[in-house]
Amino acid sequence: MAVLRISWGPQHPASGQMRIILDVDGDIVVNAIPSVGYTHRSIEKLAEYRRYFQIVPLVERICNLDSFNVTLGYVQAVEELMGIVPPERAQFIRVIMSELNRITSHLYWLALFGIMPGQPTMLMWPIADRELFLDLAEMVTGSRVTYSYFIIGGVRADLPSDFPNRALKTLDYFEKRLKVYDKMLYRSKLYEMRNRGVGIMKKADAINLGVVGPNLRGSGVKVDTRKDEPYQVYDRFEFEVPTEEVGDAEARAKVRFHEMEQSINIVRQALGMLPEGPFQVKAPFRAPPGEVYKKVEAARGELGFYIVSDGTDKPYRLKISSPSFRNLAAFPFLMKDVTMADIPVIYFSLDPFPLDIDR
Amino acid sequence: MTSETEIVENLNSKFKEAIVDANVQRKARVIITAKKDKVLDIASHLKKELNFDFVVSVCGLEMPQEDAFTVVYHFWSISNKILLTLKTKVPKESPEMLSLTPIFESANWHERETHEMWGIKFSNHPDLSRLLLPEDWSEKPPQRKDFTLPR
Repeated sequence: MAVLRISWGPQHPASGQMRIILDVDGDIVVNAIPSVGYTHRSIEKLAEYRRYFQIVPLVERICNLDSFNVTLGYVQAVEELMGIVPPERAQFIRVIMSELNRITSHLYWLALFGIMPGQPTMLMWPIADRELFLDLAEMVTGSRVTYSYFIIGGVRADLPSDFPNRALKTLDYFEKRLKVYDKMLYRSKLYEMRNRGVGIMKKADAINLGVVGPNLRGSGVKVDTRKDEPYQVYDRFEFEVPTEEVGDAEARAKVRFHEMEQSINIVRQALGMLPEGPFQVKAPFRAPPGEVYKKVEAARGELGFYIVSDGTDKPYRLKISSPSFRNLAAFPFLMKDVTMADIPVIYFSLDPFPLDIDR
Repeated sequence: MTSETEIVENLNSKFKEAIVDANVQRKARVIITAKKDKVLDIASHLKKELNFDFVVSVCGLEMPQEDAFTVVYHFWSISNKILLTLKTKVPKESPEMLSLTPIFESANWHERETHEMWGIKFSNHPDLSRLLLPEDWSEKPPQRKDFTLPR
């Protein structure tokens, strides 16, 4: 049979515009070429024309599902460059919001991943529960998706006084919901049939391809920036880095599930230890000449900011190394000699976000 | 565990003529500047001897009053938890260097992006086709400083 070339996307195979060109022989995919760039906004170039504090809302658009973590990466890099340290309370607030955002982002993934093998309920439930976390974010920042809450030198406003109680209530509820998800999706026959043994990436392959985040940890590599290079106050909390050995779609899904549990754990500890005090310090306009590479563990994996400063109030060069871009390498590797029906499974198990790929 | 200073000393002794500058920026950060023709050997040494596992990012850089583009590679070592920055200069009139993809597969997509954004050619790269820019893009590489945005 002749090999047929078909286009999967770019009109939304998942979330955002991205295309995968598939060469199929009957029902077997022989070759897959990711074709990206549909949402390229050239954030790196635009940043060279803006002052440091003006770039916060700009970089947020890299991955608006994960805004807190992305802005944290940026403000941390600038703070290191300027040599300022935010107050302790601000660092705790940052950790709390970032971990809540990790749950929000993973819930969005869970919804898409749940409906993929044909469980529409698993689309509804995580999206509904995600609302509660968006409500928490709205309570603190006033907006639901793009917050611009972390600023250079701290956070924009203090936490509302009734936030800790409400957050703890939400977490108690969510912990119960996770058990329901576990039963509903992770232990269902359908899920097992669709995911087990699909898209296997061995440890050596994962390292060689340079994938990051839950995809790397799903292949048994214990790499987590929060542990390897603790930033903010992450070194004060006790938490596990979940890993799985198998490296298939199921393993990656399990890692994300356990990460949500760990995020609950971290937020609870942080709320318990939350110190009083100021929530921001004054930051200078200009950064001294030099360069910095700073990274955070975003929901999709390690996100790095490389900033070169020439001493002015604008970055001379801002390079963003985003997790979804680095995970791109796994697409052609995994989408080879699999059936067409496995393509969405592999796609969602890698949790790509086209905006994050294109920047 | 290999420390930051050990890495600098090791590279200085192994590639005496090729290393222009090597220093430890801070904990877990090493910055190396090397000559273009030896970059492939250094990368291979980083992988085999110094346990660097993958390329974290590749980018171009254009410093003022220089007649060359700087290509910046960042490597990460899982076991040593060290980020190494490797810089090399390519002349502006013929921006070309050998690709590191044969050694580090993880450099593949980053080099492709750097190629289209900076017009730097990586010879030996398996596929340097368009990635993020539109297929009909005909202007100069957009990340260069002489490509300016309207104010």
